Amino acid sequence: MLVTWKYRPRNTFIQRLDPRTRWIFLFSIILALTIPEIWDYRIVFPLFVLSLTLFFMARIEWKDVRRAFIYIFILVFFIVGLNALFFGRGGPSSVLDPSSPVLFFGVTVSKAWFAITQVTRMLTMALLAIPIPYTMDPNIYGTAFKRMGVSDKVSFTIDLAFRFLPTFARDLTITVDAQRARGYEVEKLKGGLVARIQRLAPLIIPVVMQSTVTGEEVIDAMDLRAFGTAPRSWLKELRYAARDYFMIALGVAIFITCCVLKWGFGIGGFFVPEFFTRLVT
Amino acid sequence: MPESPLVIENLSFQYRTRPEPAIENISFELKPGEMLLIAGSSGCGKTTLARCINGLIPRSYRGKRNGRVLLHGKDVAEMQIADMAQIVGTLLQDPERQIVASNVYNEIAFGPENLGFPRAEIIARVEQAMKRLRIEHLRDRETFNISGGEKQKVALAGLLAMNPSILLLDEPLASLDPASAYEALEVFRSLTDEGKTVVLIEHRVEDAITARPDRLLYMETGQVKYFGSIKDLPTEINHREVKLPAEWVVKRVRQMGEKIDKRSSPADKTESIQNVERGESLVVFENVDFRYGDETPLVLQDVNLTINRGDLIAVLGPNGAGKSTLVKHAIGLLKPTRGHVLVEGKDTRTMSVAQIARVLGYVFQSPTHMLFAPTVREELEFGPRNLEFKKEVMQQAVKESISTVNLNGLEEYPPLGLSFGQQKRTTIAAVLAMRSKIMIMDEPTAGQDYANYTHFMDAMCRPPAEGAQSLVAANFAATMFITHDLDLAVTYANRVLLVGDRHVVADGPPEEVLKDFDLLRRYRVRPTSLLRLNLELLSRTGRFLTAEALAAYD
Repeated sequence: MLVTWKYRPRNTFIQRLDPRTRWIFLFSIILALTIPEIWDYRIVFPLFVLSLTLFFMARIEWKDVRRAFIYIFILVFFIVGLNALFFGRGGPSSVLDPSSPVLFFGVTVSKAWFAITQVTRMLTMALLAIPIPYTMDPNIYGTAFKRMGVSDKVSFTIDLAFRFLPTFARDLTITVDAQRARGYEVEKLKGGLVARIQRLAPLIIPVVMQSTVTGEEVIDAMDLRAFGTAPRSWLKELRYAARDYFMIALGVAIFITCCVLKWGFGIGGFFVPEFFTRLVT
Repeated sequence: MPESPLVIENLSFQYRTRPEPAIENISFELKPGEMLLIAGSSGCGKTTLARCINGLIPRSYRGKRNGRVLLHGKDVAEMQIADMAQIVGTLLQDPERQIVASNVYNEIAFGPENLGFPRAEIIARVEQAMKRLRIEHLRDRETFNISGGEKQKVALAGLLAMNPSILLLDEPLASLDPASAYEALEVFRSLTDEGKTVVLIEHRVEDAITARPDRLLYMETGQVKYFGSIKDLPTEINHREVKLPAEWVVKRVRQMGEKIDKRSSPADKTESIQNVERGESLVVFENVDFRYGDETPLVLQDVNLTINRGDLIAVLGPNGAGKSTLVKHAIGLLKPTRGHVLVEGKDTRTMSVAQIARVLGYVFQSPTHMLFAPTVREELEFGPRNLEFKKEVMQQAVKESISTVNLNGLEEYPPLGLSFGQQKRTTIAAVLAMRSKIMIMDEPTAGQDYANYTHFMDAMCRPPAEGAQSLVAANFAATMFITHDLDLAVTYANRVLLVGDRHVVADGPPEEVLKDFDLLRRYRVRPTSLLRLNLELLSRTGRFLTAEALAAYD
């Protein structure tokens, strides 16, 4: 059986928004930063502040999201951030400017600033995405996508996919307990990378098997109740309010502005601000 | 005259991958307001028959099918799945497998939504289904947060919202505690009385007959052995294949003139355990409180308990009473919020789970949560290797444990490719190979039918010969199992713990704890015919016996 995220209703501006608004706003910001390839701190940093503000407005307790943020921080700082810092990968070619002063171990001023910008961009997107499972009613995941024009099957697939991760986490917890009871200690993994991955088999294989079984069960249960045999009615109705129009307009305006600035005026590309160069050299 | 809702004519089916037919020449007809009980052990063809009725055969399972299944006069093979779903509502064995939505209201609405009904009609159907099953109070609850009995009612409401004329109930009692199972059977009867045609597939005939089925169809190896009234004991029914009321078993054993096996007596097992040194405290709970989070309510409160050498403990109690939480403290997976748990005198707070595993082996409910290795042998070596056994000691332990649970010849097979019963035995062997002193099993009979789980428990807890020790007595200083099946406690345990309301509310020999019916009912444990008969004869037997052994007492 699929379980859901740790959602609970809160009387906040964020949770009063229509779920479609939140998806549209999230996609607008992601597209605004990625499609016109915005690296300019004068655009990235205000968007980061906006995301951070919206995150705090969601009023999620830190203990609820602590684990999610640990994963995100590891991903953003240690994988993306260090990669950007040492190799300058993932950005425009100007990051690899050979004339940029070297700070240490091949890290140039340009790469250092790029790493800061890249991490800020990623966090801007993550801060909007992380609160969704905790603040959006799991009953309206599918409805939200259906009402945005997505097909029945894809909408329900998204609904199931969202609940797959916490179900996976639950199964993993049970398996970890079962293997610990057999003397297995995850923290004592030894050897090289391949050996360590092999040592994770006692956790990975049962959880994958369990997930496969759960998937088959869900398909049978849906078949027996005529899923996919006719166009589906979706019981939940969604209505936009003034605040939704405002947020959608804001998201779309940000996207258009970024596109116009970048492609119309050439503003938004990567450059190292002088204050940073002065600060680190 | 209207067509009968369900007519089966000379139905046979052979799966494409099997050499022999799964069912052969089955015929019967059911009328509105009639309940048919289908009984038989695993592999008798019950599930195949159910798949033929709900249309999964021939749609999802390919093979050679002869004969016809008619729903209101129409052949299933020629019907659309959407039409089928409105005629046959299938309730699966485990409601968890059936529920797809995250909230109760959405779950009940799922079927009507799929059929594309208008919104007002969906709401009317959902409200009506909830009212019918008296679950309106659950409407906004998350489906994964409700009890097993509530989940089943929600799954059933989801079917009723599609207004089927036939309800196909596939072992619907399997995951329920006894009181919830009884409530479910009452609901099935009342739905039948309202005009639904109900097909109840259940190997626990004793429980199923409380729903007063009109007829019984008993199957063996794909064929109908008995079809008719259920009032008198049909001699065609094998009491070792399905669970019958104790009085029926006694009558049948006497009628058939079967030799009564004295080893059926749990007292023999108790005596064999008594042969070993008793009384040494292995695990001690001292004033244990536990809660999962700072702001969550207590799950265990002031629990004091000692597991002694020689104990074979059955842990009973309703869902959510804290049974699993209790045993997870013993293995150190959970640490008390207050108080202490001592394993061989050491506080579990100062020990790792791996250290405790040397003393205490824990077999989880589902084998798929722990089996992973490419072969049975490697699976069994996993625990000893983690505990850093020397190679020759490990090999000897693995060899012995394979032999003990009768997995000889399967050493090089992949555990996940074995049958469920064999997988279960592999998990036991995995704990045996660790040479722990205590074994704890969580619902050891879950997912197995009566014939298989009786065989499994007999193999574990019954001495193989007069004067010999049972498998658990020979290999473990103490054994503890969590169960919903009261008869397992009656038949196999020498001590019963009743857990409820965060406490151990009763602790003692089965003959003492299980005689208090008021206490049992308060904690949703429903007295069985075997318990009643044992209590009636206790002054003569002096101990609890199996139904077969009771046949010796006139």
